[in-house]
Amino acid sequence: MYAPKGEVERLKSALQALKAQGAEYADVRWERHRSERILVRNGQVAALTQHQDEGFGIRVLYKGAWGFAASPFLTEQEIEQVARRALEIAKASALTVKEPIRLDDWEPQRGQYASPCERDPFAIPLDAKLELLFRADEILRKAPEVQTAESHLRFHAVEKLFLSSDGAEIAQRFVYSGGGLEVKAVANGEAQQRSYPAAHGGDTAARGFEFIESLKLVENAERAREEALQLLNAEPCPAGEFDVVLDTNQLALQIHESCGHPTELDRALGMELSFAGGSFMTPDQLRKLRYGSELVTLTADATIPGALGSFGYDDEGVPAQRWPLVERGLFVGYLSSRDTAPRIGQRSTGACRAESWNRVPIVRMVNISLEPDPKGPSLEELIADTKRGLFLSTNKAWSIDDRRLNFQFGCEIAWEIKDGKLGRVLKNPVYTGITPEFWNRCDAVCNPKEWRMWGLTNCGKGEPMQTMSVGHGAAPARFRRVRVGGGQS
Amino acid sequence: MSANFAIAEEVRREGGLLGPDALLERLREVVRRSPAERTELVYIGGRSDLTRYAASTVTQNVSEVGARLWVRVANGQRLGVASVNSADPDAWVEAAKRAHELSLRQPPNPHFTDFAPKASYERVETFVEATARTTPPARAEALVRAFQRADQAGRELSGTFQTSVGEVAVVNSNGVEAYQPLTGAYLKVVAMPKGASANVVAGLAMADGFSRDISQINVERIAEEAMETSARCETVKEIPVGTYDVILKPPCVAEILQWLSFIAFGSRAYLEGSSFLAGKLGQKLLGENVTLYDSFNEPEVGSLPFDFEGTPKRKLTLIERGVAKGVAFDRLDAHEAGAESTGHAGPPGSGFGAIPWNLCMEPGDASLDEMIQSCERGLLVERFHYLNGFLDPPKAMMTGMTRYGTFYIEDGRIKHAVPNLRWLDSMVRAFSQIQRVGRERVVCTDDAGGTFYQLVPALYVKDWQFTGQTG
Repeated sequence: MYAPKGEVERLKSALQALKAQGAEYADVRWERHRSERILVRNGQVAALTQHQDEGFGIRVLYKGAWGFAASPFLTEQEIEQVARRALEIAKASALTVKEPIRLDDWEPQRGQYASPCERDPFAIPLDAKLELLFRADEILRKAPEVQTAESHLRFHAVEKLFLSSDGAEIAQRFVYSGGGLEVKAVANGEAQQRSYPAAHGGDTAARGFEFIESLKLVENAERAREEALQLLNAEPCPAGEFDVVLDTNQLALQIHESCGHPTELDRALGMELSFAGGSFMTPDQLRKLRYGSELVTLTADATIPGALGSFGYDDEGVPAQRWPLVERGLFVGYLSSRDTAPRIGQRSTGACRAESWNRVPIVRMVNISLEPDPKGPSLEELIADTKRGLFLSTNKAWSIDDRRLNFQFGCEIAWEIKDGKLGRVLKNPVYTGITPEFWNRCDAVCNPKEWRMWGLTNCGKGEPMQTMSVGHGAAPARFRRVRVGGGQS
Repeated sequence: MSANFAIAEEVRREGGLLGPDALLERLREVVRRSPAERTELVYIGGRSDLTRYAASTVTQNVSEVGARLWVRVANGQRLGVASVNSADPDAWVEAAKRAHELSLRQPPNPHFTDFAPKASYERVETFVEATARTTPPARAEALVRAFQRADQAGRELSGTFQTSVGEVAVVNSNGVEAYQPLTGAYLKVVAMPKGASANVVAGLAMADGFSRDISQINVERIAEEAMETSARCETVKEIPVGTYDVILKPPCVAEILQWLSFIAFGSRAYLEGSSFLAGKLGQKLLGENVTLYDSFNEPEVGSLPFDFEGTPKRKLTLIERGVAKGVAFDRLDAHEAGAESTGHAGPPGSGFGAIPWNLCMEPGDASLDEMIQSCERGLLVERFHYLNGFLDPPKAMMTGMTRYGTFYIEDGRIKHAVPNLRWLDSMVRAFSQIQRVGRERVVCTDDAGGTFYQLVPALYVKDWQFTGQTG
């Protein structure tokens, strides 16, 4: 047990007291977070911060309505006050209930989980981390056009305790490590950037410092810089219909926006309509909608060791699971929680997560991946098989409508594919489409050797906003006749 | 020094506030006990409550007490930052020690000269006790009345009703002592036809309102506005994708300006050369009718009179009659640029530089009706969705969707609603081709804290480029 032992009994007592006051159900999450972030920019330490964070949140179900209250102060008096407030809020919510919330029949779980970690990143000397970043930074800056070079690392450790009024007791521990590079080059009114290994924070995994070493930041700095310089002098990506091969770091976001979000059951039930939006994948479409081609199988899996969306139990105490969302092109499953799944006659898939102790858990992605084609080509073979097209890599910009149908993505870089060979670099590539049309145009997914997992740390959802870390695995894939726009004024 | 603020004991306790006297004294003590040569502290604490509802039922109802302290220390030019969520001075001193340790293990930052000097701050009224005293049942009861009215009108409502009470303080070893309490209330109402699914194509509309004073949030009026627009866009007719004049309501303009804060008016974008203002201060870049400035104290709304370094805020002109005049700076980026801090520092250690927090646009002389009447062929856009401005920052290229009501105008009259449209355009181009500027401005924010907001009019823009449609 990671939580302070003396307080655990007080939290359990608070849950039982809530039951005695008429609550149908109550749970509490205590969490302790520790994080470190290092950013080296242009030879200087632009940010070096450490943060500690701890608190608890109590969730109460009363007459079919939820209440939630949270506080960072784990004292006897505060536990009582927060429990009282959560019940008071649930009673206020109950004033509006039309259909009482019903929880599914998952048995209360008891267990522990720890994410894999070979080398504790917080035990690595700061000097070693800085040296790694400064070495990469020096390489990134070896060109006068480079205006900004950034290399960064971040580490996060979380301890969690989950208790419920029906007897669940779960302790979990996670260690996350992430890092990356960004180089921005400017000349003649043109600004171009390259990121490694991906944009928007690089890559992150639920692993220790060994993950940082596997990224080989220093070894890849020169390529990132040279590609940024090439982009400064590149032709704009032409507009028109092209066969497009997407790199895995772009597919990760394509999967995230066009499959992950629309299969969140709370969205599909209209619970997110006033913020992120609804979904075209409504329950009446389940097992009917032809989402993609036969090659498209998308899986939710919270059990992949080291992936960012993995855990032992979600934040409602439901065990981690693996299940299909899209099977050979057919829409077959949802991400769900204990209060949404019963509304479609199911039980939770264990995808209810909270950003921290101060947020109520809501339906979130876990690891959502495009399965590789066991008989698929290598990337090289896929390029060779493409007569005229584009190879797009590394997300730069993203936008999708409120039903998750009409999307537009910008990438950092495109390579022309001509007669099966990669050709010139093209700048500012943008492609757009309608989700099911796009996935139905998928005619090739590479083989398992080309498959890799990506960690995204900036998935936003909910009000108040909750930023979640999720994983996306993919092998490069090809999509026929995609509409590509230039991204030029 | 900060202005004096009296907060009732009960409000202070229930709101998770320490109050000016106790908070500043605790912060002074941490500065005294810090092992570093120089110390800067930023504290944000308080309570936020949010009621979320969908299909005219409360689905989520939460309350959170928070307390976070950032410590930034300097030893020579070596900086270290640590933060902790606690109200315990001993934990704060421990954070100061961690920041001190971090500072000793990194190279000097040549752009650091000193923390902000002692200053005095303008008094801004940002705290209303009635808002701080709002209870969950009061929010729920107000919503129940709106739900009943919606039911009669054949609508269902979704949205949020938020209240917040908080306090922000900045103290440093140069004698800076800044304190400001804030309250805020924000209501968002999205109306749709009763029984519509999450795949609803038409009839979705939104209205919202923010005020420091909850008594100024008229729940019924806001709900009626959303329902009225919902009824007007319940039937949509597709139009050919292409170039149209647009009349953008204030929330659309606000969203564009939010993005421009980062990609154009922020210190990092300027220093990196990716901002369209980079190297062009003093040049005319936008239309004559565009004047943009950052202001924390307007008649319609106020916010913090200091930034997170304790630098007093002042009105900052960014664009004056189309001419680039300035960008936002904190102390580090100002030194790098050879400029002065404009009072726009973010929380310590973010590394993201300074951005304008409260972008305002000078109003024009047109009413919304006059704009519509002067439009031969165009679109009236209620709101945007999912903007992204990272496509090509030097041109401020942005993409996004329309949402919550888009209406086709012909010969000066609204003809019919249209489905949501995707657009892709340069904001440098668009803000050079503004035909009319609205005379009324609206405070736009989506958070009860109200630290960040835009105060903007509607705009009539020539030749907006639409690239797709979702029927």
